[in-house]
Amino acid sequence: MEDDLFDLEYADELDALEDVEPDSNPTPKSRRSLQFATPSSKNKNRQDDLDSSTLSLQQSQSPKNTLNNTICSESEDEETDGLSAPRADKNSDNGGQQKKKRSAWETDILDSAADDFFDSLPDLEPQSKRARSSQPDDVEQDRNNGGIPGFHRTRERNHVRRRNNEPESLDDYQLRLLEGYDLERRRVLRSVPPGDYVSATSYEGRRVYMKVKDKQKFEQEIDSVSDRVRQADLLTTPITVMKEQLEDERRRQVLHEAEELSARVRRELAEDESGREVNKDTGEHNNSRPGALWVEKYAPRTYTDLLSEEAINRTLLHWLKQWDYVVFGKDLPMVKNKKKGKEATNNKWKKFQPEVSSELDGYNRPVQKVVLLCGPPGLGKTTLAHIVATHAGYNVVEMNASDDRSVDVFKNKIEAATQMKAVMGADPRPNCLVIDEIDGAPQAAVNVLLNILKRPEGGGNKKKKEGDILLRPVICICNDQYAPALRQLRQQALVMTFPPTEPSRLASRLSEVVRREQLKADLNTLLALCERTDNDIRSCLNTLQFVRQKQVELTLRSVQTMSVGQKDAHKSLFSVWREIFTMPRPKRNRFVSIYDLMEGKADSLHLNAASPTARFQHILTLTQATGEYERVIQGLFENYLQAKSKDPHLVGLNLASEWLCFVDELSHYTAHTQDYSVMKYVPFLPVTFHLLYAAYVPPRISFPHVQFEVQQAHMKITNLLTSLQADMTPGVRKFVDIRNLTLDLLPPLLDILQPTLRPVNTQLYSSREKEDLSHLVHIMINYNMTYRQERSPEGQYTYVLDPNVEEVVRFSGTKQRKQLTYGAKQLIAREIELERMRRNEAANVNFSSSQKSTAVVPNHKQTLEAKAIVEDKPRVNYFAGFTRTKREKQNVQKEDKQEKEKEEKNVLDTIIWFHFKEGYSNAVRRNVRIQDLM
Amino acid sequence: MSLWVDKYRPTSLAKLDYHKEQASHLRKLVQGGDFPHLLVHGPSGAGKKTRVMCVLRELYGSGVEKLRIEHNNFTTPSNKKLEVVSISSNYHIEVNPSDVGIYDRVVIQEMIKNVAQVNQLDSSSQKDFKVVVLTEVDRLSRDAQHALRRTMEKYMATCRLILVCNSTSKVIPAIRSRCLGVRVAAPSQDEITQVLHSICKKEGLNLPGELAKRIAEKSHGNLRRAILMCEACRVQQYPFSADQEVSEPDWEVFLRDTATMIVQEQSPRRLLEVRGRLYELLSHCIPADVIIKGLLQELLSNCDGELKTEVVQSAAHFEHRLQNGQKAIYHLEAFVARFMAIYKRFLEEGIADLF
Repeated sequence: MEDDLFDLEYADELDALEDVEPDSNPTPKSRRSLQFATPSSKNKNRQDDLDSSTLSLQQSQSPKNTLNNTICSESEDEETDGLSAPRADKNSDNGGQQKKKRSAWETDILDSAADDFFDSLPDLEPQSKRARSSQPDDVEQDRNNGGIPGFHRTRERNHVRRRNNEPESLDDYQLRLLEGYDLERRRVLRSVPPGDYVSATSYEGRRVYMKVKDKQKFEQEIDSVSDRVRQADLLTTPITVMKEQLEDERRRQVLHEAEELSARVRRELAEDESGREVNKDTGEHNNSRPGALWVEKYAPRTYTDLLSEEAINRTLLHWLKQWDYVVFGKDLPMVKNKKKGKEATNNKWKKFQPEVSSELDGYNRPVQKVVLLCGPPGLGKTTLAHIVATHAGYNVVEMNASDDRSVDVFKNKIEAATQMKAVMGADPRPNCLVIDEIDGAPQAAVNVLLNILKRPEGGGNKKKKEGDILLRPVICICNDQYAPALRQLRQQALVMTFPPTEPSRLASRLSEVVRREQLKADLNTLLALCERTDNDIRSCLNTLQFVRQKQVELTLRSVQTMSVGQKDAHKSLFSVWREIFTMPRPKRNRFVSIYDLMEGKADSLHLNAASPTARFQHILTLTQATGEYERVIQGLFENYLQAKSKDPHLVGLNLASEWLCFVDELSHYTAHTQDYSVMKYVPFLPVTFHLLYAAYVPPRISFPHVQFEVQQAHMKITNLLTSLQADMTPGVRKFVDIRNLTLDLLPPLLDILQPTLRPVNTQLYSSREKEDLSHLVHIMINYNMTYRQERSPEGQYTYVLDPNVEEVVRFSGTKQRKQLTYGAKQLIAREIELERMRRNEAANVNFSSSQKSTAVVPNHKQTLEAKAIVEDKPRVNYFAGFTRTKREKQNVQKEDKQEKEKEEKNVLDTIIWFHFKEGYSNAVRRNVRIQDLM
Repeated sequence: MSLWVDKYRPTSLAKLDYHKEQASHLRKLVQGGDFPHLLVHGPSGAGKKTRVMCVLRELYGSGVEKLRIEHNNFTTPSNKKLEVVSISSNYHIEVNPSDVGIYDRVVIQEMIKNVAQVNQLDSSSQKDFKVVVLTEVDRLSRDAQHALRRTMEKYMATCRLILVCNSTSKVIPAIRSRCLGVRVAAPSQDEITQVLHSICKKEGLNLPGELAKRIAEKSHGNLRRAILMCEACRVQQYPFSADQEVSEPDWEVFLRDTATMIVQEQSPRRLLEVRGRLYELLSHCIPADVIIKGLLQELLSNCDGELKTEVVQSAAHFEHRLQNGQKAIYHLEAFVARFMAIYKRFLEEGIADLF
C-alpha cells in the first residue's frame, strides 16, 4: 500500500532512473557528471520533499533500485554516489552557502552539520514533515537494514579509488563526512542541553538548541579521519582489496551477461508495446492491467480499425454527417455538394444497404432521425456506433440494458442526451445518443423515443416547438429487429442489418492479436475458430484469451474439441427451416472432422459437413437449440410437399407423414400425461425431413399460417353454431347437437328454407302457399334463424341469413344453390318479425289475462273517444211507433244518465283534472314579447 | 308447425315405428318399477334420444314434455367459470358434459350430486327417482367417467342415469357393467321408406315408392337425414316425380370429389391440394373420423379386391392414431399418402403386367 503510494508519488523519478539505466556507462566518472547535470529542473520539485530524507530513504524508493543494489555492486556504488551528490549541493543551497566554500571542506563541516540539524528538525518545514510522515516506517527500516551496510561498502570502494590515485570529488568528501556522522543522535534539541550550546530561533518563534563540540574533540575527529586517509601500505593495493576486486570483476561479468539478456527481452517487449501503441492510445493503460479482457484490449480505436463491412461503416458515417448542419451548423450547400460527390462514389457499395436519403427535413435534419443497427451478437455493432460517432465529432452517450429503462427514466435520459451539452471541459462536443440493446426495452419506453421522433416539424409554431424536437442523432442497436416493441420504430428508422464479418478478415486480425500475445496459432486454426464461432469476434477473442491462460499454442485439434467459444445462438425459424431443406455443399476440407478422429478413420479425412453423420448431428443440434419444436414442425409440414425429391414410389412421403403422426402422438401424450420425457424424440423429425428432402436449391419457404387460419375458421363456425343452438326452442334443441347440425340437419334445412314463392303480395297467395309460408316462418323461428338486411360494399342491400349457416354448409367448388329473391327474403323477414310479435303478444296475453284489472284509467291517460251521438230530439211520428220511440228515448236517457254519472265520478276520482270550457277566454291569453323572454 | 323431423317424432313407446320389440321391453322395464341405469347406444339418426324421451314419458307422463333451458354455472378448483346448458323438466335433466371439454368432471360431480341429493317432492304419485340424461358419454374424459362410477351407485335411491352415446368403445367397462345396455340400431331401408310414407300420408302428399327408396339409400340409415331430405325434396318440387333429384349435403359431395382427386393422381403436389381440401372439411366442423370413413368408402370403390384389405387396414391404423393424437390433419394426410403409395404401386404393377 505504502509502496504503491510512494511509487505514484515518485513516478517521475522512477521513470528518469529507468531511462538512464539501460545505457549504463562503464566509466563511473562520466556517469557521475551526468547525475550532476540532471537534478536541475526535475529535482527542483522534489528537493523540498527530499530535504529531510536520508540516503537510505532514497534507496528504498523503488524495488528496482534495491534490486540494483544487490545484483550490481558497481551501479549501486555509483548510484549512492550520485544520490549523495545533489544532497550536498542542495544542502549548501539551503544553508545559503556559496559553492566555492565547498572546496575547503574542513571549515565547512560545521555549516553543513548545522544544515543537517535543521533538516532533521521535524517541525521546521511543512513539506519535510509530510515526506517524513508518509514514509517514517520505511526510513526507519532502511536505516536499520540496507542503509548502513551500503555505506560501508561505498566507503571501502572510495578507499580503493583513492589508492588508485583517482582524484577525489566533492561527494567523496561528503561521504566520508557522513561516515563519522552519528545518524541516530539528535543534534537539534528543544530543551537546553548540558554543556555548551548555541541557541537559535526559527522565524516561527520556536527556539532550538544545539550542542557545541569543544575544539579539542573536533580536532581529534578530524585527525582520525586524516589518519585513515594517510594509512601507509606496502602494496599500492592491499591483497584483500585486490581479491575483492577480482571477485567483483567476475560477478560483474556474470551480472552484465544476465542484464544484457534481460535487456534484450525487455526490448522485445517494448517493441511490441510500442507497436501496439500505434493502434491504440491506451497502451500503457492496458499494460498496467494484465487481467484486462482481450475484447477490450484489442477493440478497434479508430475508424480504420473497424472490422465490420465497409458499406455499413460508410452508411452510418454518411448518415451521421447529415446531421452536421443541425449539430455543428456547417454550411448547408457545402454539405450538399459533398454529399453529391459521395453519392456518386457510393453507388457501388449501396447495393448492400438501404439508401440514406439525402433529403433534409424542415429543420435540415436527415429524414430518418434514427438508425437501427441490427445483427447477431459479436459483430461489433456497439463498437461501430461508438467509433463512428466519435469520428464524426460527437460525444457518445450510451444507454443499455443495464440502465433502468422505465418510461420516466428513459425520457429524461433521452432528453438530457439530445438537448443538453457538456459545458465543462476543454472540448464540449455535442452528444450522440447510442441506445444499446433496445430490443429488450419495454414497449412504453420505445414509444417515448417514437414520440420524440414524431414531434411536429415545420409549421407555424416553429419557435415554440424549437426546444422540443430532436436535434441530435440517435443510434439504436438491437439483435432482433423484429422484436414486437420495435415494430413502429422500424418504420421510422434507417434499418441497417449487419452482415457477418468476413472470416478471412477476422482471422487476419486474430493472427495479429495472437502474435502480440505470444500465442502460437496458424491462420488455418484461426479460420477454424472463426467458423466455429460463426464469425463472432467477441467469442473468438474470449476463446483465445482463455486458451492463452493455459497454454501457449492453439492447435487445430484443440479448436475442434473445444467447447468454449461456442454460443448457443438463437437462430430464426426461417433459417432453421432453410437449413433443414438445404443440402450442405461439400466444403474444401479445411480441417479434420472430430468424429472421424474419434473413430480413428484416418482415410476418411475428406469426409466433411456433407457426410450423413455430420448432417444428422448438425440438424439435431440445430433443432434442439431452437426449442420451438411445435413451430419448426409446423413449418416443415407446410413446406415439405413443395420440396423436390426423387421419390417415385412415395416411400419418403409415407415416412415423413408417419413421422408427423408419431410426433403428434408424442405431443398429445405429453400434454395429456404431463410426461415430458418423450419430448426428446421430437427433434429427430427435422432430421428425418432433412435426410429426405434436403436439396441444393431449397424450396421457397413460407411461414406456416394455414393451420392458424384453419383454426380461426373452425372457431368461427363453431361459434356460429353455438349461437344458433343457444336460442332454439327447447323441444328442438334437445335433439340437436353440433355434430348433427353440420352433418345431417343444416344441409337439407337450407333447401327446405327456400321454397318457391310467387313474387306477389301475400294477400294474393293461395291457402296452400300461405300455409307453406307460415310453415317456413315457424321453422325459422324454431331454429332461431332470420334474414337480416345488410349493405354490401357496393351499396346494395341484401338479406342474409342470420346466423349465416350458409357458411357452414357451403364448400368451395360445389354447385351454387339457388337463392331466394330479395323480395322473397324481405317478405320472409317481415313475416318472421310479425310471427315473433304475435308469439310474444300471445305469451303476454296469457300472462296478463290471469290478472284482469278493473282499475280506473287515470285521467291523463284517457283518450278521447267518440261519444255516441245521442239524439235529444224525439222522433216525431205521428202515425205509428210512438210508443216505441218513447221507449227508445227512455233507454237512451237512462244510459246517458248512467254514463254521465260514471264519468263525473271518474273525473272526480282522479287527483288532477282540467275542465275545458268551450269558447273564448282571456284567462290564458297574454301578450309575451321576445324581450321578456330574453 | 315445424320441421317434419320434429313434427312427427313419436312421443310414446307405443308409437315407435321400428324396433318395436325393444320398445315393449322398455315399457315392461318401466312398468316393472325396477328401473336400472341405461346406456343407450347406436349410430346417429337411429332414434336414441327419441326413444329416451319416450321412456321418460312412460315414466312420468306428459309432464316431461314441458322443457326449459337452464344455464348452470360452475367454478372449477382452478377458479375457472364454466357454463353448462341443461334441458330439464320437473322430472329429469339432460346435460352434455363434454361441452366444457376437460372440465367435464366438475360438471358430473356437481350437477349430478345436486340433482341426486334432492328427493322427488311427491313420491307417492310419482316415481321416487329423477332421471339424469347424459349425452355424448363417449366424449367424456376418463376422469369424468371415473367420477361417474361411484355416483351411479351411491345415489341409486334417488336418481337414475340414462347415458347416450354413439359407441360404447370409449365408455369404461366399469360404467358399462353398471348399466343396462340398450342398442338402438339404425333403421333398415325398408323401415325408413315406411316412415317416409307414413309422414307423407299425414302431410297429405303422394310419395312415389321409387323416390322414397332412393332417399333411404342416400340417408345411410340415418332416419333424421332421410326425413329432412324428403322434406327438402318436397320444397324443391312438389308433385314428386320418381326420378327427382335428391340433393346431398355439400360436404359429402366435396369429400367424394377429394377422393376422386386422390385416385386421379398420386404425387406430393396432389397431396398438397388434397391437404387444402381436408383443411376445409375440418374447418367446417366435419369430424375427422367422418372424413376418414367417407374417404375410405369412396376410395374402396376404386380398388380391386386384394387392395381393399390393405387400404382398409391402413385406414384403421390411421384412424386409431387419429384418436391418440391432437392434430387430425397429420393423420388424414398420412392416410392419403399411404393410399397414394399403395395405389401407385398397384397401378405400376398393372402396367408391368401388361407388357
